[in-house]
Amino acid sequence: MPALALLAVSACSKRNDNVVTPNVGDKFPQIINLADEGDGGLEDEDKFSFKVGLIDRADPSGENLEGAIVPLKKAVRVNFAVTHFEGFNKLSDYIKEAKAFYEIDDCTTSEDKDIDLKLNFDVNTGKGSFEFPAGVEEVEIEFETNDALFDDDVLNTDDRKIEIQLTGIDNAGTNVTLNTANKFEYEVLDDESVFGEYEIDVNNATQFNSFVQLFGLINEDVKNLKAADVEEIKIEFAYNEFKAVITLKETEQVEECGEMEEVNKEIEIEGGIEELDTKTLAGAVEFADDIEQEDGTEAEFKYSGEFTLNGKNLVLTLKGEYNDNETEEITLNLNK
Amino acid sequence: MELKKLLIFFILMCGSGIAMAQRGIIKGKISGQQNEPLAGATLLVNGTTSSTAADLNGDYQFYVNPGNLNLTVRYLGYRDTTINVSLTAGQLKVINITLKSRQAALEGVVITGYTEGQAKALNQQKNADNIKNIIAADQIGKFPDPNAAEALQRVPGVTIERDQGEGRYVSLRGLAPQFTNTSVNGEQIPSPEADVRYVALDAIPSDQLASIEVSKALTPDMDGDAIGGSINLITRSAQSKKPTISGTLGGGYNNLMRKGNVQGQLQYGQRFGDKEQFGLLLNSNYYQNNLGSDGIERAINDNELETRDYELTRTRLGLSSALDYRFNNHHEVYFRTLYSRFTDREWRRRYVFKPSDEEIEKLTKDRFEAQSVLSMNAGAKHTFKSFLLDYEAQYSYAEQNTPYDNEAAFVAGIPSVLNYADTRYPSISTDEDYKNNSLYGFNELGMGNTIAKDKNLTAKVNVSVPYKINSSDGLIKFGGKVRSKNKSYNITQNTFENLGGVPNLDQFAGSPVKDKFMGGRYELGNPLDLSSLIRYFNANPSQFELQIADKAADEALESFEASEDVYAGYLMGRQQIKKLMILGGVRYERTKVSYSSKDVIIAANGDLEAIRPVTGSSVYDFVLPQLHLKYELDKFSNLRAAVTYSYARPNFSEIIPSQEINREDRVATIGNANLKPVKALNYDLMAEHYFGSVGIASAGLFYKKLDNFIYRRTIFNSPYPTTGTPIIPRIDITQSQNGNDADVLGAEIALQRRLSFIPFLDDFSVYLNYTYTHSKARIQSRQANEGNANATEEIRLPGQASHVGNASVAYEGKKFSARLSLNFNGSYLSELGGTKDEDIFIKNRMQLDATAGYAINNKFRLFVEALNLTNQPLQAYQGNSTQYIQREFYSYWMRFGVKFNL
Repeated sequence: MPALALLAVSACSKRNDNVVTPNVGDKFPQIINLADEGDGGLEDEDKFSFKVGLIDRADPSGENLEGAIVPLKKAVRVNFAVTHFEGFNKLSDYIKEAKAFYEIDDCTTSEDKDIDLKLNFDVNTGKGSFEFPAGVEEVEIEFETNDALFDDDVLNTDDRKIEIQLTGIDNAGTNVTLNTANKFEYEVLDDESVFGEYEIDVNNATQFNSFVQLFGLINEDVKNLKAADVEEIKIEFAYNEFKAVITLKETEQVEECGEMEEVNKEIEIEGGIEELDTKTLAGAVEFADDIEQEDGTEAEFKYSGEFTLNGKNLVLTLKGEYNDNETEEITLNLNK
Repeated sequence: MELKKLLIFFILMCGSGIAMAQRGIIKGKISGQQNEPLAGATLLVNGTTSSTAADLNGDYQFYVNPGNLNLTVRYLGYRDTTINVSLTAGQLKVINITLKSRQAALEGVVITGYTEGQAKALNQQKNADNIKNIIAADQIGKFPDPNAAEALQRVPGVTIERDQGEGRYVSLRGLAPQFTNTSVNGEQIPSPEADVRYVALDAIPSDQLASIEVSKALTPDMDGDAIGGSINLITRSAQSKKPTISGTLGGGYNNLMRKGNVQGQLQYGQRFGDKEQFGLLLNSNYYQNNLGSDGIERAINDNELETRDYELTRTRLGLSSALDYRFNNHHEVYFRTLYSRFTDREWRRRYVFKPSDEEIEKLTKDRFEAQSVLSMNAGAKHTFKSFLLDYEAQYSYAEQNTPYDNEAAFVAGIPSVLNYADTRYPSISTDEDYKNNSLYGFNELGMGNTIAKDKNLTAKVNVSVPYKINSSDGLIKFGGKVRSKNKSYNITQNTFENLGGVPNLDQFAGSPVKDKFMGGRYELGNPLDLSSLIRYFNANPSQFELQIADKAADEALESFEASEDVYAGYLMGRQQIKKLMILGGVRYERTKVSYSSKDVIIAANGDLEAIRPVTGSSVYDFVLPQLHLKYELDKFSNLRAAVTYSYARPNFSEIIPSQEINREDRVATIGNANLKPVKALNYDLMAEHYFGSVGIASAGLFYKKLDNFIYRRTIFNSPYPTTGTPIIPRIDITQSQNGNDADVLGAEIALQRRLSFIPFLDDFSVYLNYTYTHSKARIQSRQANEGNANATEEIRLPGQASHVGNASVAYEGKKFSARLSLNFNGSYLSELGGTKDEDIFIKNRMQLDATAGYAINNKFRLFVEALNLTNQPLQAYQGNSTQYIQREFYSYWMRFGVKFNL
């Protein structure tokens, strides 16, 4: 009777009314997900890839406060599919074949060690699957593509892209699941548009000084550059990214996978593209990023302006802002 | 300095020349015609200064010289009664006295119902050695006060802080709740809440209590950590051989939620044995209340406005027992338990309008919280020929268990315009329909649980030695106490964001809970059904991403473990010199505390950099001299004065070494394990006149000088850690620190009496009290910066209301009774802002309640109670009194039912 009375009393507290216990902690499964939302390559690119990885979990060792990948203890089979494509009629016209591999270290992949991830991919249906092995953090699926299919000499105004989604998982049990909602979108970048790599004439003092004035705002090494020290300067508009690489005449010895080689020193400036008109020969551009300060804080820089394409020539007019300083509008003349 | 005070006191005590002689003991019980104990009744030996007062159970005992004695019994509402007793040296005589109302009651005064409770309280108050207020159970029952906090709001000088319209925290004499000590049956109880020491008194149902004592000036046998005062909740015990079964059965109605509530109470008490040696009392009660509120909140600096729709279900379960066994007239043992469980299921549904971000956020929170307090006291009382001995051991445990605290947020990119032309009801305009749930995308889902535990183990012993110098009675009392406290707080928090695929809010929409919100001024549409979202989360975990760094920081930041050992001893003397009673003594308390928690360091780029374990400890001593004087002007009038020392320990949240170091914003908030308690010197003066027809008129003044007042200070460009090798060269550190003084000055007046002196109004009575308080404290100036870090400014103490009062008119006939009660809480500073303009104040609030009862017969009585009849809101303002930042409405609620006493 007293137990019954207590039960009746606790029922009145509504503790359990319409309460769903969430599956958190150990009950929250390992999640396999697409590593990126998208990528892009120029028209004559002969391959592209997407990566599939595990989502970070609370580090059991407690060392990594931001979390760590806890590899699977048992291999699972991951299914994927090309769910949408535009700009061509048949998938097999563009994708020729596929392979799957993972990185063992910076210089070695599973392919080098003849580890077979048992990739199946049907270029007609766009459906495929591969084995996500135990102990591995990320698997890369690489497609060999027809590099001639989109390689034209005209400015394209239609999209040419392909979308891939993960569709299912086999042998997973309850502890592993995968995100089927996210999409990886590969975009074919038109090399008649602003996309691509351009070079500044280092020997043109006006152009060189303009470059130094523009990007010296955010980089002390660039600010102090002398033309005589520079081998070449290239800038690139890539998928969601702006990049400027200054190759110096000075060289250094670097170790690359166990071998020493002499290479030119480089200064790199990168920014994420915030705005870019891509289906036109003239338009707006804006890119920005954060730079770590001496005290560990980060400050944002931003460059915005306009571009005009004339054949292989790009006229880029930009204004930079950083740490309460800004440049005036500076025009660069670049060639592909 | 502290030891010097102690030494002087001992010399004075030893030099006073104590004369002991072989004496007799008279003890017994004083009861009324229904066998009810007459607590506070006075017995005095005619022609001497020997007197005593009956305790809550009507029991009394005192040492007297042998001989043929005439004893006079005095009790408000009754005529004095004289009894003749013969006593030989060393003899113990039991004299039980029953006052028969027909013979003894004053003409024209019927001691029933409320008056009976009031009589008990006032008789005890009148005979008390120190300045205190007492409210008896019968008196509590006449006001519509379901919990101990609301019962206390009727006491002069008491302010309560409310939560969802219900009283929760109690402040005495203009000081914040942490300056008040709460005890059950004379021993402190731990707080279920993690970061504070004070107890949320809404967790304790008033039906559990026999009486509540509010001591405003401490005596040396009381714990010294109570600057505002000490609240003692006294549970019930068995009184007579005749079984008593009493209870309440009722229901109620909440107008805002349009829902009912239920309540019930059952009590059984009886004494067993041929000499009524064994007493047993069992009490249980239950109250389930469905309530809610409609509110708006404004964040001025961020230009944000929130609508807040609360729906709550609260339950209060109380179980108590009292067992006592009297071996003989000299020795007795007792065991008392009290268990209270308060649960609170809360749904909070909000819109947050953010014009600056061109966003509107829509959120729902679902939280269940259970606060439990268990207290078990076992002790004994011994009456020896020349001294009294009592001792007690107590185990008490408090817990706040929050098994789930879930909240989800969805965001829509809808611009809005807020207009504050009507500061009471700001208007909101949007281009798109903000109630359209399909526009809201998933933002985050937080799910957590916490548990806070607090355990006390206490042992104490008291020895009282009565003596007589010439014809003056005196008493020396000394004792000691040891208390060991362990407190901890653990947090589990999981916050998820969208990994990809979580649908918009329209997929998780529920049904509106209320027909109208804020009287129809704002529309809420269909709220987020959180359970529906969590079901989706369980079915589709792959679409949710755990925020791992947030989890680590959230779980580390406030968690702590603490232990605190208190050792106390006291020596006091009470001397009656004709009409003057002098009570003086000293109390010594030593506290050893240690804590462990974790530092959370946020890197300059905003990432979680490190979580480091930290520990802290401190030891502090207090010597607290106390002096009380009571002068009996006549048998109904007293003058009282007291000079006492007391202190208040800091809140746990202020002393645990837990820290948040945010290098990105260059600010740090760190605990201060070396924080000293606030020390106070208190002066009290009180004049009181009791009416023979049951009533009181009193007036008093008090002044408190606080040293080591605790305030939050920002140290600009400090190295971190503040001692040892710095790992951060310059950061602004905010920390609670000692150092500044504060003063509190107040006056209180009270009048309670029947209007029997006015023709046709003799069944009416009034209950009036008013307290004025003024305070000032110096803190580091909010204008201070690196250049003038020592600049100070004067503020009024947070929580201190200048004006507090009660007014109540009651009619009490033979069958029917009714009461109208007004409770007024003046405005007070609630939170100190970064600048004076950012200080947050709670506005004046006056609540009107009404009760009525009808006695069907001697055993059954119908009652009805209605609270907050004028729908008084909780209102907070910032900057000026019309710039509201919070307005919360509750409407009125009722209770009704039957009370029985079989």
